[in-house]
Amino acid sequence: MSRAAILRIFLPNRAVDPATALFLVAFWVAAMLLVWLLSPFASLPTPVEVWRALGALWWKHGMGPELLTTIKLILHALLLTIILSMLLSYATVIAFFRPLVAAACKLRFLGLTGLVFPFTLLTGGGYPLKVALLTFGMASFFVTSMAQVVVEIPRVQFDHMRVLGAGELRILWEVVVRGTLDKALDVLRQNAAIGWAMITMVEGISRAEGGVGALILNQNKHFLLAEVYAILLVILLLGLGMDYGMGVLTNLICPYARLERVKR
Amino acid sequence: MSEVSTLGDVLLKVEEVSLRLGDVQVLDKVQFEVRDRIRVGACTGQIVGILGPSGVGKTRLLRIIAALDAPDAGTVTGLKGVQVSAGHVGVVFQDYPLLRHRSVRSNLEIAGIANGMPRAEARQRASQLLEGFRLADRASYYPAQLSGGQRQRVAIAQQLVSPKTLLLMDEPFSGLDPAALDEVMHLIVEVANMNELNTILIVTHDIRAAMAVSDTLLMLGRDRSPEGKIVSGARIQGCYDLVEKGLAWRAEVMELPAFAQLEKEIRGRFKQL
Repeated sequence: MSRAAILRIFLPNRAVDPATALFLVAFWVAAMLLVWLLSPFASLPTPVEVWRALGALWWKHGMGPELLTTIKLILHALLLTIILSMLLSYATVIAFFRPLVAAACKLRFLGLTGLVFPFTLLTGGGYPLKVALLTFGMASFFVTSMAQVVVEIPRVQFDHMRVLGAGELRILWEVVVRGTLDKALDVLRQNAAIGWAMITMVEGISRAEGGVGALILNQNKHFLLAEVYAILLVILLLGLGMDYGMGVLTNLICPYARLERVKR
Repeated sequence: MSEVSTLGDVLLKVEEVSLRLGDVQVLDKVQFEVRDRIRVGACTGQIVGILGPSGVGKTRLLRIIAALDAPDAGTVTGLKGVQVSAGHVGVVFQDYPLLRHRSVRSNLEIAGIANGMPRAEARQRASQLLEGFRLADRASYYPAQLSGGQRQRVAIAQQLVSPKTLLLMDEPFSGLDPAALDEVMHLIVEVANMNELNTILIVTHDIRAAMAVSDTLLMLGRDRSPEGKIVSGARIQGCYDLVEKGLAWRAEVMELPAFAQLEKEIRGRFKQL
C-alpha cells in the first residue's frame, strides 16, 4: 500500500477502494480476536471454550431446532409488522387517519414488559403472545420511521404526477408506494434488527415453545458462560446474515437506490 | 426588419390573478394574454418569457397557470375560453422531477398511461420521443444515471407524451453550461414549432436566454413607493413584442446590435422590478 493510500484511510471524508475497505474489515476483525484472546477478564471465556460450548449446544442441547423456532417466530412477526406498518404509514396521506398513525408512533414509548399481562389476556399466551409482543415492538418503530419517509416526500413529486394527468390513486401508487419502496426496505432492515435484538427477551417471557431466547436463559441460570457467549455469537452472526440478505434483496428489487448513493 | 405575421386566437388568458400568502400580497392583478402567432408558410408556436427577479412570485404564477394552486382572485383560461385544469398543461419543474424507480423509457410510458393512453400507444409514443430527443441510447437508464441536460430532455419529453399545447417551464436555463444552454434553447424552439398552437411559457431570470428564444417578453415585478421601497404584490410591469422588433425567429439573433441594445434596456428595467 502506498504512503498516499495509507494517509487516505486516516483522513476525514475520503473514499477508499474496495480492496482497502476489505483490508480494513480484516484488520478490525483480527484486532477484535486478538483482544478477545488476550483478554484479562476471567468472566470472558476464550474462543476455544466458546467453540466447544457451541458444539455441545448444537449436538446435545438441540440448538438447531431452537434456532428454527426463533427464525419462524421472527419471520411471522416481521410479516405481520410489514402488513400493519405499511397500511398505517401509507394511511398518513389521508387526513382522517393521521391522528391514528401519530398515536401508533407514540406507542413506541411503552415498554414490552408492562404489556405482557394485557397481551397474555388478549392472545392466551404461548406462541401467539410472543408474535404479538414482537410485532408490537417492531411495528411501533417501523410506523414511526416509515410515516416520516412518507411525510418527507417533496410536494413537487405529487405535482409532477398531477401535471401528467395521473389520478390520486395512481399518484399514491407511484409516488408513495413505489417511490419509497427502497426506503421501506431500509426501514424494514433496521426494524428486523430491532426485532432480532428483542427476541431473547420475548422468548424469555414465555419459554414453553423454546427458541434461542429460552435456551440462553437456561444457560444463564446455570451460569454456563461459554454457552451463553456461544449463543450470543450465533444470534449476532444470524442477525448479520439476515441484515446482509435484506441488503441484497433491496439492491435486487430497487437497483436505482444504489445509484443515488454518493460515495464519500 | 420585422417578420410578416398576424395574431390569431387567444391561446392563454390570465385575468386579474391575485394571490396572498399570509400577510404578503404575492401577486396583484396579474394580467396578460398569449395569441396564436401566424406566419404564412411556417408552423410557428408561441414562446413567452416571463422575466422577474428571484422571489417575485414567478413560480407561484406558474403554479396558478398550471392549475396546481388556486388564486385568491382571477381566472386562467385557454383556447376558446376554457378554464385551465391540472393535467392539461405540461409543466417542466425546476429540478426536473422524474420517477426515480422507473427507467427513462418507463418514465415516458407512464406519462401516457397516467393520462389514459392505451399501453401500446404510450409505448410507441415513448419510442418516438426517445428518438426525437436523442435519448434512445439512454432508454434503460434510471434518472440517477443521467446528466443534468439529459434529465431536462427527459422531463420535457415526458410532458409531450400526451398531446398538450401549453407547456410551462420553470427556470429552464439555470445552472447550464454554454453548450447545454444552446441545446436547451434550440430544443424549446423545436418543441414550440411542432404545432401551430403550441405555447411555451418560460419563467426565468435569465434575460439573455429568454430574449433569444421568446417572441414575447413579459416583465413581472413589484411597484416602488415614492421613497423607493418595494411595495408587495407583483404584476406585469412591461411587455416586449420581439416579433415587432425583428428579434424573434432568427437563428443568430444574439449577434444583432438591436438585440444588445434591447438587452441593455431590459437589464436596466429588471433592476427596478
